[in-house]
Amino acid sequence: MKNTKLELSVGLFVVLGIAAIIYLTIQVGTGSMLSGDTYLIESRFANAGGLHSGSTVLLAGVTVGRVEGIRMESADYSAIVTLRVLSSLRLPTDSMASIKTTGLIGDKFVSLSPGADDTYLKSGSRITLTESAVDLESLIGKMAFGTIEKEKAQQDTK
Amino acid sequence: MRSFSLILTALALAHSHLSASTIDAEIFLKKAVTEVAHIADASENSSALAAKVRPVLVNVISFELMTRRAVGLGWKKFNEAQIKEATDLFATLIIRTYSSKFTPGEFPEITYKPAILVAPERIEIPTRILYRGSQYEVIYRQEKSVDRRITDVVIEGVSLIATYRTQLDAQFKQGGAPAVIGALKKAVAVRQ
Repeated sequence: MKNTKLELSVGLFVVLGIAAIIYLTIQVGTGSMLSGDTYLIESRFANAGGLHSGSTVLLAGVTVGRVEGIRMESADYSAIVTLRVLSSLRLPTDSMASIKTTGLIGDKFVSLSPGADDTYLKSGSRITLTESAVDLESLIGKMAFGTIEKEKAQQDTK
Repeated sequence: MRSFSLILTALALAHSHLSASTIDAEIFLKKAVTEVAHIADASENSSALAAKVRPVLVNVISFELMTRRAVGLGWKKFNEAQIKEATDLFATLIIRTYSSKFTPGEFPEITYKPAILVAPERIEIPTRILYRGSQYEVIYRQEKSVDRRITDVVIEGVSLIATYRTQLDAQFKQGGAPAVIGALKKAVAVRQ
Protein backbone atom coordinates (compact mmCIF):
# COMPACT_ATOMS: atom_id res chain seq x y z
CA MET A 1 0.00 0.00 0.00
CA LYS A 2 2.83 2.33 1.01
CA ASN A 3 4.73 1.45 -2.17
CA THR A 4 1.69 2.17 -4.38
CA LYS A 5 1.27 5.61 -2.79
CA LEU A 6 4.94 6.39 -3.30
CA GLU A 7 4.83 5.21 -6.93
CA LEU A 8 1.72 7.29 -7.54
CA SER A 9 3.38 10.40 -6.09
CA VAL A 10 6.51 9.86 -8.15
CA GLY A 11 4.40 9.26 -11.29
CA LEU A 12 2.37 12.43 -10.64
CA PHE A 13 5.56 14.41 -10.06
CA VAL A 14 7.06 13.13 -13.34
CA VAL A 15 3.83 13.93 -15.28
CA LEU A 16 3.73 17.45 -13.80
CA GLY A 17 7.41 17.93 -14.64
CA ILE A 18 6.86 16.85 -18.25
CA ALA A 19 3.79 19.13 -18.51
CA ALA A 20 5.83 22.06 -17.18
CA ILE A 21 8.63 21.39 -19.68
CA ILE A 22 6.12 21.19 -22.57
CA TYR A 23 4.43 24.42 -21.44
CA LEU A 24 7.74 26.28 -21.11
CA THR A 25 8.94 24.96 -24.50
CA ILE A 26 5.79 26.24 -26.19
CA GLN A 27 5.94 29.59 -24.40
CA VAL A 28 9.61 30.15 -25.22
CA GLY A 29 9.09 28.89 -28.78
CA THR A 30 6.28 31.33 -29.49
CA GLY A 31 8.06 33.98 -27.49
CA SER A 32 4.96 34.82 -25.53
CA MET A 33 6.67 35.08 -22.16
CA LEU A 34 6.29 38.64 -21.03
CA SER A 35 6.31 39.56 -17.39
CA GLY A 36 3.56 41.92 -16.30
CA ASP A 37 0.40 43.30 -17.89
CA THR A 38 0.30 43.81 -21.63
CA TYR A 39 -1.87 45.46 -24.29
CA LEU A 40 -2.28 45.02 -28.02
CA ILE A 41 -1.46 47.50 -30.77
CA GLU A 42 -1.37 47.04 -34.54
CA SER A 43 1.18 48.04 -37.17
CA ARG A 44 0.57 48.30 -40.87
CA PHE A 45 3.43 47.17 -43.14
CA ALA A 46 3.69 46.97 -46.91
CA ASN A 47 5.83 43.87 -46.43
CA ALA A 48 6.13 41.80 -43.24
CA GLY A 49 8.28 39.10 -44.84
CA GLY A 50 10.32 37.06 -42.34
CA LEU A 51 8.32 38.18 -39.33
CA HIS A 52 6.28 35.56 -37.44
CA SER A 53 4.14 35.17 -34.35
CA GLY A 54 6.44 35.35 -31.35
CA SER A 55 9.02 37.60 -33.01
CA THR A 56 10.55 40.08 -30.58
CA VAL A 57 9.51 43.72 -30.27
CA LEU A 58 12.39 45.92 -29.17
CA LEU A 59 12.70 49.51 -28.06
CA ALA A 60 16.22 50.85 -27.47
CA GLY A 61 17.43 47.26 -27.68
CA VAL A 62 15.20 46.14 -24.81
CA THR A 63 12.47 43.53 -25.32
CA VAL A 64 9.15 45.26 -24.70
CA GLY A 65 6.81 42.90 -26.50
CA ARG A 66 6.13 40.11 -28.96
CA VAL A 67 4.37 39.73 -32.27
CA GLU A 68 0.96 38.27 -31.46
CA GLY A 69 -0.23 37.65 -35.02
CA ILE A 70 0.03 38.69 -38.66
CA ARG A 71 -2.86 39.00 -41.05
CA MET A 72 -3.55 40.39 -44.49
CA GLU A 73 -5.60 43.57 -45.01
CA SER A 74 -7.52 42.57 -48.12
CA ALA A 75 -8.42 46.17 -49.05
CA ASP A 76 -4.84 47.16 -49.94
CA TYR A 77 -2.90 43.88 -49.58
CA SER A 78 -0.88 45.22 -46.67
CA ALA A 79 0.24 43.19 -43.65
CA ILE A 80 -1.30 44.03 -40.29
CA VAL A 81 0.97 42.91 -37.47
CA THR A 82 -0.52 42.70 -33.98
CA LEU A 83 1.98 43.50 -31.24
CA ARG A 84 1.60 42.62 -27.57
CA VAL A 85 3.56 45.18 -25.57
CA LEU A 86 4.05 45.84 -21.87
CA SER A 87 1.36 48.06 -20.40
CA SER A 88 4.04 50.12 -18.64
CA LEU A 89 5.16 51.26 -22.09
CA ARG A 90 3.49 54.51 -23.20
CA LEU A 91 4.03 55.12 -26.89
CA PRO A 92 3.37 58.55 -28.45
CA THR A 93 0.95 58.41 -31.41
CA ASP A 94 3.69 59.31 -33.90
CA SER A 95 5.87 56.37 -32.87
CA MET A 96 7.41 54.36 -35.68
CA ALA A 97 7.64 50.61 -36.13
CA SER A 98 10.37 49.12 -38.34
CA ILE A 99 11.07 45.53 -39.29
CA LYS A 100 14.78 44.92 -38.74
CA THR A 101 17.07 41.94 -38.98
CA THR A 102 19.51 40.64 -36.37
CA GLY A 103 22.73 40.80 -38.36
CA LEU A 104 22.65 40.22 -42.11
CA ILE A 105 20.69 36.99 -42.24
CA GLY A 106 19.36 36.73 -38.71
CA ASP A 107 15.82 36.72 -37.34
CA LYS A 108 13.45 39.55 -38.07
CA PHE A 109 12.14 41.68 -35.22
CA VAL A 110 10.03 44.80 -34.80
CA SER A 111 11.87 47.89 -33.61
CA LEU A 112 9.80 50.66 -32.03
CA SER A 113 10.92 54.24 -31.99
CA PRO A 114 8.93 56.72 -29.87
CA GLY A 115 7.83 60.00 -31.42
CA ALA A 116 7.19 63.46 -29.98
CA ASP A 117 3.37 63.62 -29.82
CA ASP A 118 1.67 64.46 -26.53
CA THR A 119 -1.04 61.85 -27.13
CA TYR A 120 -0.37 58.15 -26.65
CA LEU A 121 -1.36 54.95 -28.44
CA LYS A 122 -4.19 53.10 -26.74
CA SER A 123 -4.97 49.41 -26.79
CA GLY A 124 -6.15 48.55 -30.32
CA SER A 125 -4.52 51.64 -31.93
CA ARG A 126 -2.62 51.25 -35.17
CA ILE A 127 0.89 52.48 -36.02
CA THR A 128 0.92 53.63 -39.64
CA LEU A 129 4.37 55.23 -39.64
CA THR A 130 6.23 52.05 -40.44
CA GLU A 131 9.24 50.72 -42.30
CA SER A 132 8.77 47.35 -43.93
CA ALA A 133 11.25 44.52 -44.16
CA VAL A 134 13.98 45.43 -46.63
CA ASP A 135 14.26 42.81 -49.33
CA LEU A 136 18.03 42.24 -49.20
CA GLU A 137 18.02 39.64 -51.96
CA SER A 138 16.27 42.05 -54.32
CA LEU A 139 18.70 44.86 -53.48
CA ILE A 140 21.73 42.59 -53.94
CA GLY A 141 20.22 41.37 -57.21
CA LYS A 142 19.81 44.94 -58.45
CA MET A 143 23.40 45.77 -57.52
CA ALA A 144 24.86 42.60 -58.97
CA PHE A 145 22.86 42.29 -62.16
CA GLY A 146 21.56 45.85 -62.69
CA THR A 147 18.03 46.53 -63.83
CA ILE A 148 16.34 45.67 -67.09
CA GLU A 149 15.90 49.35 -67.86
CA LYS A 150 19.61 50.05 -67.31
CA GLU A 151 20.65 47.32 -69.70
CA LYS A 152 18.06 48.48 -72.21
CA ALA A 153 19.42 52.06 -71.96
CA GLN A 154 22.97 50.79 -72.45
CA GLN A 155 21.89 48.81 -75.52
CA ASP A 156 20.13 51.89 -76.92
CA THR A 157 23.29 53.97 -76.65
CA LYS A 158 25.35 51.37 -78.55
CA MET B 1 -36.90 50.61 -45.49
CA ARG B 2 -36.30 54.28 -44.77
CA SER B 3 -33.52 53.53 -42.30
CA PHE B 4 -31.97 51.12 -44.81
CA SER B 5 -31.81 53.84 -47.48
CA LEU B 6 -30.40 56.26 -44.89
CA ILE B 7 -27.62 53.79 -44.09
CA LEU B 8 -26.94 53.32 -47.79
CA THR B 9 -26.75 57.08 -48.32
CA ALA B 10 -24.41 57.47 -45.34
CA LEU B 11 -22.17 54.70 -46.64
CA ALA B 12 -22.13 56.22 -50.12
CA LEU B 13 -21.26 59.63 -48.67
CA ALA B 14 -18.47 58.14 -46.52
CA HIS B 15 -17.08 56.32 -49.55
CA SER B 16 -17.23 59.39 -51.76
CA HIS B 17 -15.53 61.45 -49.00
CA LEU B 18 -12.82 58.78 -48.70
CA SER B 19 -12.34 58.63 -52.48
CA ALA B 20 -12.32 62.42 -52.72
CA SER B 21 -9.59 62.74 -50.09
CA THR B 22 -7.33 60.17 -51.75
CA ILE B 23 -7.95 61.66 -55.21
CA ASP B 24 -7.17 65.16 -53.88
CA ALA B 25 -3.94 63.81 -52.38
CA GLU B 26 -2.97 62.26 -55.71
CA ILE B 27 -3.69 65.49 -57.59
CA PHE B 28 -1.69 67.48 -55.01
CA LEU B 29 1.31 65.16 -55.34
CA LYS B 30 1.25 65.02 -59.14
CA LYS B 31 1.09 68.81 -59.37
CA ALA B 32 3.97 69.19 -56.91
CA VAL B 33 6.17 66.62 -58.63
CA THR B 34 5.55 68.19 -62.06
CA GLU B 35 6.41 71.64 -60.71
CA VAL B 36 9.64 70.39 -59.11
CA ALA B 37 10.60 68.45 -62.27
CA HIS B 38 10.21 71.61 -64.39
CA ILE B 39 12.35 73.63 -61.99
CA ALA B 40 14.96 70.86 -61.99
CA ASP B 41 15.00 70.84 -65.77
CA ALA B 42 15.51 74.60 -65.97
CA SER B 43 18.31 74.68 -63.37
CA GLU B 44 21.91 74.67 -64.51
CA ASN B 45 23.34 72.89 -61.45
CA SER B 46 22.32 71.32 -58.14
CA SER B 47 23.01 74.39 -55.98
CA ALA B 48 20.90 76.57 -58.29
CA LEU B 49 18.18 73.92 -58.16
CA ALA B 50 18.29 73.84 -54.33
CA ALA B 51 17.75 77.61 -54.19
CA LYS B 52 14.97 77.67 -56.80
CA VAL B 53 13.07 74.67 -55.52
CA ARG B 54 12.94 75.68 -51.85
CA PRO B 55 9.94 78.07 -52.05
CA VAL B 56 7.97 75.37 -53.88
CA LEU B 57 8.94 72.57 -51.51
CA VAL B 58 7.99 74.59 -48.44
CA ASN B 59 4.39 74.52 -49.68
CA VAL B 60 4.54 70.84 -50.58
CA ILE B 61 6.48 69.32 -47.68
CA SER B 62 5.76 69.92 -44.01
CA PHE B 63 9.33 70.44 -42.86
CA GLU B 64 8.10 71.39 -39.36
CA LEU B 65 6.41 68.02 -38.85
CA MET B 66 9.24 66.17 -40.62
CA THR B 67 11.87 67.68 -38.31
CA ARG B 68 9.75 67.01 -35.22
CA ARG B 69 9.31 63.37 -36.27
CA ALA B 70 12.96 62.99 -37.28
CA VAL B 71 14.13 64.16 -33.85
CA GLY B 72 11.52 62.06 -32.03
CA LEU B 73 11.09 62.07 -28.28
CA GLY B 74 13.76 64.72 -27.66
CA TRP B 75 11.74 67.33 -29.59
CA LYS B 76 9.75 68.14 -26.44
CA LYS B 77 12.92 69.54 -24.84
CA PHE B 78 13.59 72.01 -27.67
CA ASN B 79 12.79 75.68 -27.02
CA GLU B 80 11.18 77.95 -29.63
CA ALA B 81 14.49 79.24 -31.04
CA GLN B 82 15.91 75.71 -31.25
CA ILE B 83 12.75 74.45 -33.00
CA LYS B 84 13.06 77.18 -35.62
CA GLU B 85 16.78 76.62 -36.17
CA ALA B 86 16.50 72.82 -36.35
CA THR B 87 13.56 73.00 -38.80
CA ASP B 88 15.43 75.41 -41.05
CA LEU B 89 18.61 73.30 -41.01
CA PHE B 90 16.71 70.06 -41.61
CA ALA B 91 14.86 71.59 -44.58
CA THR B 92 18.16 72.80 -46.05
CA LEU B 93 19.73 69.39 -45.52
CA ILE B 94 16.89 67.53 -47.26
CA ILE B 95 16.71 69.97 -50.17
CA ARG B 96 20.48 69.96 -50.76
CA THR B 97 20.76 66.19 -50.43
CA TYR B 98 18.04 65.44 -52.96
CA SER B 99 18.91 68.31 -55.33
CA SER B 100 22.33 66.75 -55.81
CA LYS B 101 20.67 63.56 -57.11
CA PHE B 102 19.04 65.32 -60.07
CA THR B 103 20.62 65.80 -63.46
CA PRO B 104 19.19 68.77 -65.39
CA GLY B 105 17.36 67.69 -68.53
CA GLU B 106 16.54 64.20 -67.28
CA PHE B 107 12.91 63.74 -66.28
CA PRO B 108 12.00 60.88 -63.99
CA GLU B 109 9.24 58.64 -65.32
CA ILE B 110 6.72 58.25 -62.51
CA THR B 111 3.93 55.69 -62.33
CA TYR B 112 1.37 56.57 -59.68
CA LYS B 113 -0.51 53.76 -57.95
CA PRO B 114 -3.86 54.34 -56.19
CA ALA B 115 -3.58 56.30 -52.95
CA ILE B 116 -4.33 54.44 -49.70
CA LEU B 117 -6.06 55.97 -46.69
CA VAL B 118 -4.02 54.24 -43.96
CA ALA B 119 -5.58 56.23 -41.09
CA PRO B 120 -8.28 58.93 -41.00
CA GLU B 121 -5.57 61.61 -41.18
CA ARG B 122 -2.90 59.81 -43.22
CA ILE B 123 -2.66 58.96 -46.90
CA GLU B 124 0.05 56.98 -48.67
CA ILE B 125 0.70 57.25 -52.39
CA PRO B 126 2.86 54.43 -53.75
CA THR B 127 4.79 55.23 -56.93
CA ARG B 128 7.33 53.59 -59.18
CA ILE B 129 10.04 55.94 -60.39
CA LEU B 130 12.28 55.23 -63.34
CA TYR B 131 15.22 57.61 -63.34
CA ARG B 132 18.44 57.34 -65.35
CA GLY B 133 17.91 53.65 -66.00
CA SER B 134 17.13 52.62 -62.44
CA GLN B 135 13.76 51.80 -60.97
CA TYR B 136 12.72 52.76 -57.44
CA GLU B 137 9.62 52.04 -55.35
CA VAL B 138 8.77 55.29 -53.58
CA ILE B 139 5.90 55.91 -51.16
CA TYR B 140 4.83 59.47 -50.33
CA ARG B 141 3.13 59.95 -46.95
CA GLN B 142 0.75 62.88 -46.68
CA GLU B 143 -1.29 64.17 -43.74
CA LYS B 144 -4.50 66.14 -43.62
CA SER B 145 -3.47 67.98 -40.44
CA VAL B 146 -0.82 69.84 -42.47
CA ASP B 147 -2.99 70.50 -45.56
CA ARG B 148 -2.05 67.21 -47.23
CA ARG B 149 1.60 68.17 -47.35
CA ILE B 150 4.22 65.40 -47.51
CA THR B 151 5.48 64.27 -44.10
CA ASP B 152 7.67 61.30 -45.07
CA VAL B 153 9.13 59.62 -48.14
CA VAL B 154 9.82 55.89 -48.15
CA ILE B 155 12.35 54.81 -50.80
CA GLU B 156 12.70 51.06 -51.42
CA GLY B 157 11.17 50.43 -47.99
CA VAL B 158 13.48 52.83 -46.16
CA SER B 159 11.78 55.77 -44.47
CA LEU B 160 13.48 59.16 -44.53
CA ILE B 161 12.09 59.98 -41.09
CA ALA B 162 13.14 56.66 -39.55
CA THR B 163 16.64 57.02 -40.99
CA TYR B 164 17.13 60.48 -39.53
CA ARG B 165 15.39 59.60 -36.25
CA THR B 166 17.97 56.89 -35.55
CA GLN B 167 20.79 59.40 -36.02
CA LEU B 168 19.26 62.47 -34.41
CA ASP B 169 17.91 60.58 -31.40
CA ALA B 170 21.45 59.32 -30.74
CA GLN B 171 22.71 62.92 -30.96
CA PHE B 172 20.00 64.11 -28.57
CA LYS B 173 20.90 61.44 -26.02
CA GLN B 174 24.54 62.56 -26.19
CA GLY B 175 24.09 66.30 -25.83
CA GLY B 176 20.44 67.37 -26.05
CA ALA B 177 19.11 69.96 -28.51
CA PRO B 178 22.50 71.73 -29.04
CA ALA B 179 24.02 68.39 -30.17
CA VAL B 180 21.19 67.82 -32.66
CA ILE B 181 21.55 71.34 -34.07
CA GLY B 182 25.33 70.93 -34.21
CA ALA B 183 25.01 67.66 -36.13
CA LEU B 184 22.55 69.24 -38.58
CA LYS B 185 24.88 72.23 -39.11
CA LYS B 186 27.77 69.87 -39.87
CA ALA B 187 25.68 67.83 -42.31
CA VAL B 188 24.48 71.00 -44.10
CA ALA B 189 28.07 72.32 -44.34
CA VAL B 190 29.23 69.07 -45.95
CA ARG B 191 26.55 69.41 -48.64
CA GLN B 192 27.39 73.02 -49.57
